[in-house]
Amino acid sequence: MIQKIQSLWPEIVLFATACVVMVVGISPSVAVRRSCGVIAGLGLALAGLVAIDWPGPASSVVWPALAPYVKVLVAGVGVLLLLVLAGLPDREYEAAVAHGQRYDPIRANRAEFYAFFLFSIMGVMLVSGAEDLIWLFLALELTSLPTYIMVAISSSRNRSLEAGVKYFFLGALGAALFLYGFALLYGATGSTNLETIRQVIAQQRLGSEAVNGVALAGALLAVIGVGFKIAAVPMHFYTADVYQGAASPVTAFLAFVPKTAGFVALILLLTTIGWGYGPSGQSLPEPIRTVLWVIAAMTMTVGNVLAVVQSSVKRVLAYSSIAHSGYMLVGLVAGPGPAGAPFARNGIAAILFYLLCYGVMNLGAFAVMASLERRSRSGATEEADSIDDLRGLCTTRPMLGWIMVVSAVGLLGMPPLLGFFGKLPLFTSGIGAGEIPLVVVLGINSAIAAYYYLRLAALALLEDPDVTPVGGGLSENAPPGRKFAGFICAAAVIGLSALAWPLINLADGAAKYEPRLTPGSAVSAREAPIVPSADALTEPRAASGRP
Amino acid sequence: MSDVTTGILTALGGVGTLAASGGDAAAHAPASGGALPAASPLVLLIPLLPLLGCVLCGLCAAAGVRTKLPAWLTVACLGAAFVAALKMLGDATGGPGTHATIAHAFDWFRIEWGKGPGGVSRELVANFSFYVDTLTCLWMLFVTGLATLIGLYASEYMAGERGPGYCRFFAAFNLFVLSMSCLVMGDNLLLLYLGWEGVGLCSYLLIGYFYQKPSAVAAAKKAFIMNRIGDLGLALGIMLTFVKFGTVEYAELFERIRPFVELARHGRFDEIPFSVQLIPLLFTVGAFGKSAQLPLYVWLPDAMEGPTPVSALIHAATMVTAGVYLVARFIPFYVCSDLALPVVAWVGTLTALTAATIGMAQFDIKRIMAYSTVSQLGYMFAGLGVLTSTGAAFHVFTHAFFKALLFLSCGAVMHGFGGQLDLRKLSGVRKMPGWGIVGVCMLVGCLNLSGFPLLTSGFFSKDMILAQAFTTPGFAAIGWILLLTAGLTAYYTFRVYFRVFEGPSQFEPGDEAHAHADPGDQAHAHAPAGHAHGGHEHGHGQGHGDGHFHPHAPGWAINTVLAVLAVCSTAAIGAYFIDRDHHGWVGRMVDSSTAAWEAPGAGHSGAHAEPPAETGHGAAPGTFLGMDPHAVMYYVSAVVALVGIGAAWWLHLAGRTAAATSRADGLLAAAGPVARGAQGKWFVDEVYDALVVTPLWVLAHVFHLLDKLLIDGLVNLAGWVPRGAGRTASTGQNGLLHSYALGMAGGLAIVLVVALFMVKN
Repeated sequence: MIQKIQSLWPEIVLFATACVVMVVGISPSVAVRRSCGVIAGLGLALAGLVAIDWPGPASSVVWPALAPYVKVLVAGVGVLLLLVLAGLPDREYEAAVAHGQRYDPIRANRAEFYAFFLFSIMGVMLVSGAEDLIWLFLALELTSLPTYIMVAISSSRNRSLEAGVKYFFLGALGAALFLYGFALLYGATGSTNLETIRQVIAQQRLGSEAVNGVALAGALLAVIGVGFKIAAVPMHFYTADVYQGAASPVTAFLAFVPKTAGFVALILLLTTIGWGYGPSGQSLPEPIRTVLWVIAAMTMTVGNVLAVVQSSVKRVLAYSSIAHSGYMLVGLVAGPGPAGAPFARNGIAAILFYLLCYGVMNLGAFAVMASLERRSRSGATEEADSIDDLRGLCTTRPMLGWIMVVSAVGLLGMPPLLGFFGKLPLFTSGIGAGEIPLVVVLGINSAIAAYYYLRLAALALLEDPDVTPVGGGLSENAPPGRKFAGFICAAAVIGLSALAWPLINLADGAAKYEPRLTPGSAVSAREAPIVPSADALTEPRAASGRP
Repeated sequence: MSDVTTGILTALGGVGTLAASGGDAAAHAPASGGALPAASPLVLLIPLLPLLGCVLCGLCAAAGVRTKLPAWLTVACLGAAFVAALKMLGDATGGPGTHATIAHAFDWFRIEWGKGPGGVSRELVANFSFYVDTLTCLWMLFVTGLATLIGLYASEYMAGERGPGYCRFFAAFNLFVLSMSCLVMGDNLLLLYLGWEGVGLCSYLLIGYFYQKPSAVAAAKKAFIMNRIGDLGLALGIMLTFVKFGTVEYAELFERIRPFVELARHGRFDEIPFSVQLIPLLFTVGAFGKSAQLPLYVWLPDAMEGPTPVSALIHAATMVTAGVYLVARFIPFYVCSDLALPVVAWVGTLTALTAATIGMAQFDIKRIMAYSTVSQLGYMFAGLGVLTSTGAAFHVFTHAFFKALLFLSCGAVMHGFGGQLDLRKLSGVRKMPGWGIVGVCMLVGCLNLSGFPLLTSGFFSKDMILAQAFTTPGFAAIGWILLLTAGLTAYYTFRVYFRVFEGPSQFEPGDEAHAHADPGDQAHAHAPAGHAHGGHEHGHGQGHGDGHFHPHAPGWAINTVLAVLAVCSTAAIGAYFIDRDHHGWVGRMVDSSTAAWEAPGAGHSGAHAEPPAETGHGAAPGTFLGMDPHAVMYYVSAVVALVGIGAAWWLHLAGRTAAATSRADGLLAAAGPVARGAQGKWFVDEVYDALVVTPLWVLAHVFHLLDKLLIDGLVNLAGWVPRGAGRTASTGQNGLLHSYALGMAGGLAIVLVVALFMVKN
């Protein structure tokens, strides 16, 4: 118990920060209120620092190094996200207060906004350390529930409210699905502890080759339900509407935080089934593999083809975020490979690294959109969202323009930028796992993605700016933090590609896969053949150390 | 420089007599497989110094240097490279026995994939390493030596270009030496290919040096494209080698070819796989492209559009011998095919004859020299084909010196007479003041080229090939053709000499005369002090009316270089007489390398007791009219050369009073269509135009249309498919909450049904 609490220090730090923020955020003094963001940032940074040194839960035997990596990752990207989010809540209300309106803490959203932000990130951290289905469910919901509110209060427009409501209802549907799946898993194995479930499923295999049908159904439902968090087909419908309805900074948040939680949850869930099936003995059971395969292919294809026809930058980025989920699902299909597999074969390591790359690159693009405003003819300001708003941005606002170019080209996966190094392991792990058709689909989709990403880059870089814009034209009326965050992201897209190997080593270490049965199981791991023999391929794989 | 060279040669002779090389050819192949001893790291200086020179010249260009600094940098770098090459030679021949060594610079390619049979990992290893054996040394010695000399020559010759162009010239010049050293010294086929392409590039850059001149641009393109055809062959050969032998490294390759060589030695060609026999043929295509052999020779004469130092270095002395090097290096591969060497021999012979006939009828002295280069390269290939790699290498060696000498002399004339190259418009140059050295040097060069007996190295090297052609069974016809060509060579060589350098002193300046005559012209104003202005007291003749033109005699740099080269050409005889037991110095160099494959009875004296190898044909050595070819060929070829020179004297010098006319004109009319054919270069270019260029042009337009309609259409279609799919899919994105929920539930249902079926089955 003590050990478990010790592993939660980063979460505890975040929780404490969130409490402080909630109190400070409703202070009648503007200066005190404004310190909210700073406090949240400091708390987040502290949590990240704590997570670097703290080991994961000791009982998480299969992925001993997963939790610290994820915690540091979300804390790090979270700081950048916070830079983009800062200044978003209560913008109009504070303006009104400055003009003499009386400050009413009930009507202010600032405190909740930052606290929910921290809670959501805390949820991801809890997901990464989950050892139990109940814990996992609560952690996932802790990640998601604050985001519904954040979408709704991100701007005063009705669209944000609409998006928040849609997101909430569909999210509830998704949560219901994976909760049902969890229940079935519990029914099939008699335990909610992930490790025990893994052991039981492995033991059940001793008797028959196939996975217990109820457990299989439970795993499928859980995977599809969690698919909502990563916006995988068929749970992707909400993405574009919600992403477009939310304010750009919140959209950036949605594209990264729930997605990270979803992928970590998927990794943990699929670990209970294990990558020990199929002819090579290193893939998922055939039904799950096929379903995931199709979901991966569909997700990237649907995301990409929908992105191609959009004229709103946020929708382009929303659909492309679906496509990126599809890319990462390839890593999930490929699995971690044999114990001690090299990085190029380890699909889980590829996912973990890609999450980092995607988070940075995507945030760069959103930071640009968040920094721009369009003044309509009536004088009201609205977010810059049309793809035409990017025209000639490198000429008019070189800094923002170049951030957009670098981010878009990086997202496209153009060498030698970060996106290339991120995507490469997904390819190699897919090839290593023998999923050649899926890798071909991945390649084709990368080509389709080039179409709209290059359009974003080319519009900003090559086109001339509109001389006579329709309406009032663009203005840059955002806190400087957004531009700064975008700059850091763009610099990271270029600079981290030089540091790709150390980072890849980190991800590789985080995805160290050590499946083993507890003592007392029928066969000790020591006797398991390292390379599956011809017998092991056809016989039930009871003799193997892998579940 | 000449003292150094002769001194080295003498010293080598001394060493050579001490270190007896083994007689068995097989023993010369690297016996130790992949683990060859490391060479002195000094070897790395040879490619490094030209690279340094190239970079420095680039910096000069960036800094806007307008002096001769790039030239001096080049000469210094290349001179140092030459010293390093001498050191390399000392190391390679100094030790007991013969062995190849490897100087490793850095890892270049190391790609592994899986395990092959026997647990040996399949990998492609190609390092930036240099394979140092005596053949490498021989080539690098004259490459760096001549490059240094010609760099010095160019410092004066190119003086009119000082500024960015001067830097560009010398940067490319250095890059060429760098590429050439990669080509010659690389320890794997990939590095050889890099060098091969590199020299092609430099050749292109330097031929097209005067890029504002359309003819130079056209010539550069022609050279590049013609070379591409050959390069394709070489590339295919390299790929096939890798596929067949699993490596591109020489040390491994020569180890793995040995079983096939053994088969070939016993004439069992049926047992050698066709693909192995194909490799040398593909290499041959590459060699013919680079070394300007039939049918790919047409680029070389046009390459004379480049500045003369370039013609001398690249298109006469060094680059064009790359093909010869390739064949010599891979002789073990060539003997594995019963077709490859005869092809090489016959193509070489026919090229020699064709080019000689064309050379007889041309009037542009540089072009004559170009055709003579093609012709002499033909000799070298013929030598390789009849299994005297020593003869071929010796001819490469001597030819490098005397052909460079000839080109540079012609260049001096061209430089001095305002670009005049027509032998009908120049006469008696030797007697003009300041032109003595050029005249004498030209004479030395001509004597060498025509194979004047005893005094010239060209005589001995050509002799070796001729004799071997008669000796090797089945190649007597080649011997006769080569003998005839020798006579023609002597004739056309001395036609140039007697027309331009002897006879009454007359000249007519070329197109660039006005530029030179202009006193304000920079080239002239900055010309070295050695530029004497001759020609005043001599009648300008021909009544061309250009009284202001003064041909400027060459300065000290040109004269020095010419003199050194003349001495070297003569001194190269020494290479024949030193160490006679092993076919001379060059013979020893070749024998101790992978090129060692000597036919029986090679070497004139026949003194060696044990022939290095049998031919594999097993037939008795041929004879020349019943006599030993090696004994009698001295006299026969001497007579042929003298007859050729005599004919040239009678037709072009005796009784000639004007530059433009000679006794040969009457002969020309009598010869009729033959003469016209030769003058028109046998209309090969026209045939190429009709057979290759025009159809390609038409084809290109057809493909362009296809590309526009079909390929672009497909590409556009590929672009439209995702868009169409996106439009269709976006109808599902209608923004309604319940339809989204329905979509999610429907998708889930489908997934579950599919999974259910899979479990059921």
